[in-house]
Amino acid sequence: MNVKCIGFLFVFIGQAYSESYNEELFIKPLATGYVYSFFQFTIIREDDSFKHSTLFPHSLGDIIDRFHVSELDVDLTSGLWRHKSWGYPAVDAPSGAEISARFHNDTQDVDQHWYGLTNALSGLLCTSLNFINSANSYESSAHRVYRYSNLPRENVCTENLTPWKKLLPCDSTRGLSSFLNSGRVHNANYHSLGIHFRPLCNAGKCKYELRLTVSLVYDSVFISFNNNYDWSLRKMFGTGLFMTCPLADYSKIYLDTSSNISVPYSISQEPDYFLKKNIAVYNLNGIFHLSAIVSRPKIVVSELRPLLYTDRFITGFGQEYGGLVTRIYNDHRSPITATVIENIPWFLPIYYHTLKVTSNGIRVTPKGLIYKPGKGRVRIYYLEIVLELAPRSVTEISVQFDYVFLKWQEYPPDANHGFYIGSAIVKATIPRHATSLTFDKSLIVDNINSTGSDYLICLKTENFIITLPTPDFSMPYNVICLACTVVALAFGPIHNITTKRLKLTTAKYVPGLASIAQKLYVLLKNIIWNRNKNNKRKAAKVKVFAHEELSYHPRLGHVSEEFMKDKVDCIK
Amino acid sequence: MGLLTDPSVGHSALTSIFVRHHNRFCLLMYAISVVLFCMLAHYSLSSQTYFSENALLPGLVKGQLNDNTGSSYRDHFRELNAEAQHYETETPHAYLISKFKNLRLETYSHNFTLNYPLKKNTKYTGRNVYGILRAPRSASIESIVLSVPYRAPSSVFPSTLPGLAVLFQIAQFFRQQIYWAKDIIFLVTEHEQLGMQAWLEAYHGTSCGSPGVLNSGKLSGRAGAIQAAINLEIHSDKIDHIDIKLSGLNGQLPNLDLVNLAHRLCNKESVRHTFNNVDGGAIGRSKLNSYYTNLSTMMSMVMTQATGVPDGNHGLFHRFGIEAITLEGYEKEGRGIYSSVFQVGRVIEGMFRSLNNLLERFHQSFFFYLLPSTDRYVSIGLYMPCLVLLVGSLFLKAFSTWIKHSSEHKSGGSSAKATIHEHSNVGMVSVIILGSHVVGLMLLPNLAPAYFTHFWNHIPTHRALLLGYGSVSITMVFFLPIIMKKCLNSFKSSNWVLLHVICLLELGIGLLCVSMHNFSLGYLTALVYVLPAVCTKSSHNNLIVKLLWLLVHPVCSLFWITAYITYTAYPELPIVDFLTKVLEASGQWMVLSTVDNMIYGNWAFSVGVLLLLPVWTSFWCLMFLPTNVSQKLKTK
Repeated sequence: MNVKCIGFLFVFIGQAYSESYNEELFIKPLATGYVYSFFQFTIIREDDSFKHSTLFPHSLGDIIDRFHVSELDVDLTSGLWRHKSWGYPAVDAPSGAEISARFHNDTQDVDQHWYGLTNALSGLLCTSLNFINSANSYESSAHRVYRYSNLPRENVCTENLTPWKKLLPCDSTRGLSSFLNSGRVHNANYHSLGIHFRPLCNAGKCKYELRLTVSLVYDSVFISFNNNYDWSLRKMFGTGLFMTCPLADYSKIYLDTSSNISVPYSISQEPDYFLKKNIAVYNLNGIFHLSAIVSRPKIVVSELRPLLYTDRFITGFGQEYGGLVTRIYNDHRSPITATVIENIPWFLPIYYHTLKVTSNGIRVTPKGLIYKPGKGRVRIYYLEIVLELAPRSVTEISVQFDYVFLKWQEYPPDANHGFYIGSAIVKATIPRHATSLTFDKSLIVDNINSTGSDYLICLKTENFIITLPTPDFSMPYNVICLACTVVALAFGPIHNITTKRLKLTTAKYVPGLASIAQKLYVLLKNIIWNRNKNNKRKAAKVKVFAHEELSYHPRLGHVSEEFMKDKVDCIK
Repeated sequence: MGLLTDPSVGHSALTSIFVRHHNRFCLLMYAISVVLFCMLAHYSLSSQTYFSENALLPGLVKGQLNDNTGSSYRDHFRELNAEAQHYETETPHAYLISKFKNLRLETYSHNFTLNYPLKKNTKYTGRNVYGILRAPRSASIESIVLSVPYRAPSSVFPSTLPGLAVLFQIAQFFRQQIYWAKDIIFLVTEHEQLGMQAWLEAYHGTSCGSPGVLNSGKLSGRAGAIQAAINLEIHSDKIDHIDIKLSGLNGQLPNLDLVNLAHRLCNKESVRHTFNNVDGGAIGRSKLNSYYTNLSTMMSMVMTQATGVPDGNHGLFHRFGIEAITLEGYEKEGRGIYSSVFQVGRVIEGMFRSLNNLLERFHQSFFFYLLPSTDRYVSIGLYMPCLVLLVGSLFLKAFSTWIKHSSEHKSGGSSAKATIHEHSNVGMVSVIILGSHVVGLMLLPNLAPAYFTHFWNHIPTHRALLLGYGSVSITMVFFLPIIMKKCLNSFKSSNWVLLHVICLLELGIGLLCVSMHNFSLGYLTALVYVLPAVCTKSSHNNLIVKLLWLLVHPVCSLFWITAYITYTAYPELPIVDFLTKVLEASGQWMVLSTVDNMIYGNWAFSVGVLLLLPVWTSFWCLMFLPTNVSQKLKTK
């Protein structure tokens, strides 16, 4: 018995030792006066069962296990990544919430697992991911088990950061995560929380990698009070580092000094060593602080022209016709092949025949095109276009759409705010040196060192709002609706009463099959009746009265004279 | 079924009273309408303005704009002035771009081209500069615009350079604030309204005027849906008062909440603020005096709105569903108390902070209103009855004419013969109606003017247009009666009720439609045209009515209006000079109206040509159609 227990214990310890944890922070001061900082907390484990873990967050492991998830990306973002002034991010995420997942290939009911996953994650991260349904998510054209959705309206705030921090082994008490004070994080121009889980397989042997990331962009105008480009860890995060996380294999800070050429600055601490000439590396093992003093630049750099960037907007005004335009700018010397994925919600039905792709104003035919028409309240309009972007060109994809009348319960409480349309996705392969951080390897240090010619980047365009035809939901509107209903209901009877005359006529004889059948029926019935009762009754006389034969009765209106006589007799 | 087909309708006592005295009723309605309209300016009919949208209130906190951080207003202004003097007629684009970049805004410029529609191969180019302040933490889905039209020193209009310096100062201050939730676009336009129109068309990727006239170019930077815009025209750094301008293209008005916000914030910063250059409030005025001031303010608003021409760059935003106003700061002349640019800056700061706080786009308050004062408004429910009375008199006239006609036929012995005769002129009536509309269509501002200028290409454009439209009108005035008298003898009829009724109904419906969009235009047109229309009979019109119609011919009306305006501007001109000036001005007005139509899509001229001219022509025909005098005598 005891031997068995000890045996189990060894097994657990063995499993626990198969997990590793690293903390990294990548800081990139940009020539445009912004400071980009990217936190990455990486947990790697070799076991694919998440029943027991020491470092891997148990709550997330359970979800991954339960819903057969093999790959998962969740991004919660506030703000828009501005490619023109900030270059490329490590992780490109659209404003709001974005989630994509790949399930195990043998998963039967993918949709069921997808809703389960989004509901579980919405509980875990305090987000509105539970609003994801078939009407705002799509499956990839290539993989049956892949699902994607984004919620552009999601507001990302402290209530998401706190549960996110709980996934970290050291919580936010020690290590780099102690930089993530909610007050400071939400003062940034851009912040994005990410959970990225993927298997890394090599020759049949798989490792499982979980990267918890935070992207923050600070504007030096806000963090330095005397309106210069100075920055420091304390100015950005409100604190320096006091203790490293003892669970981490190592904690490192990388400082990208490439902008030092255009905007020179001096750093308070000498780095431990340099990677690839311009990346300063600091190994953390105790109290640490870093600050930079920037002499006021003589030239203002307002743009860092990236090789590939996008622009997306709607055209038209009013609620008659609308157009959706996505522009892709290629500033590279050579052509780039790009895939554009548009997911347009069902309340914006697009006209496929108006789809137009132009390059520098000349119409071009795309290399590939997949279109899945949407369906009201059920499915989005999915459009995937593969394009070859000519060197130094602007490619424009435009399509016309309609504004739909919604049912009155489908309007949100602030109906006049507008409806959010999520971002499009542009995927393209660009030279590695033009990108920021890459992600072929698990750790930042390995990625900085990695070589290779091209790299696949994934750009997310801006969101926008549109104004659908919105009824006036005010009190007068409701009163008018109610009053009109009452009037409409009252109109019919009042119209009948006032315009129709009550006239006593006897049933008209209409020859036809039905009447013959009816006569036969009456005859038969009479025969049976007579037989039963032995009482003969005459059938009612049929007489049609002419207009002159009618006389007027004060209560009954126009009646026949005979009837009048009867009536008078009766009264008498 | 009884209501619609009952033959007894039209024979009740009330109807017969109406039919018998319809002329008196019509005139009474006309008089009531005029009196009611004048009464609208009175305190008992207008109400106090109020904030309908509570989200706008936070801007009423203490303004913080100051001169403490960065360059001061003086520096900006001195720098700008030096740069402006350097370029006598052009815009210093390079300076503006570098200035915006120095203020750390995302800076773009925008090129546009105008192909002048009345002259071939004439092109004008322009360039706007704008900078976008990206709100932190927001996804650029909504934005607010602050615009200044750039005026070179050679411009005939008063300088806007102080306004531009205020814009720089504000941009510098706004850039340091973290509370923005909406992006702010700082826009400097060129060529007055043209630049603004081009920028708006490019922003929305559409074209509003005739195709190919304004090539609005492309924008490379955008900031989502524009929620509101403020156009700034400040002429001096010593400001006497801020005039708040509203009238937009085709008489569209901004939401009353925005107007109200501007007045309220001016009040708070103790900046003297006016509407149509008249102060609000009744302090220090007698009751009669304040009523008279209110009435004249309201009338001047009606006049401005009726032209359909925006009185500032803000007016072009309204079409795109963007609420916009212009703040025009007039220079303080002489000594006395003046407002500093900082007070005005804080007004703008307050407005932007209020707009920044808006969750939903403007929808709460009024979009249709008249303002008799800065703090009072007349809602649509009160002013619409004035127009309904006028149009109602037209409908009453049509109704009673028809009833009278049909009852005459019933009572008349030779009814069968007469109806056959009446039916025969349906064809003639439709020919007249159709013909007059076809003439109107051909005179549309994007068809006829190009032809006129091509035909008289050796004389100035405005004279060519005046000559063209004038000759067409004169031809119609003189030849139609002759044609009617000479050629249509075979179409003799006792009266032309059908034509008369159709004309009245068309005028009435047309006026209603126009006033739905532009009340002022509809009402003023109704005031002019309802009176002769009501006086006209189906047959045997006397000379006075004919003369009345001649006076209100669309071209004549234009002449009277320009004559009045010229007289008020130059009362001492001798008669010959005066007449030539009026004629020239009328021609110029035609040119401007045509160009406005083709560039901005202003439809004031189209209304004249498509509604008033055909109706006028039909009425003119009605008066000269041959009638059968003998038949009436015979029956007697």
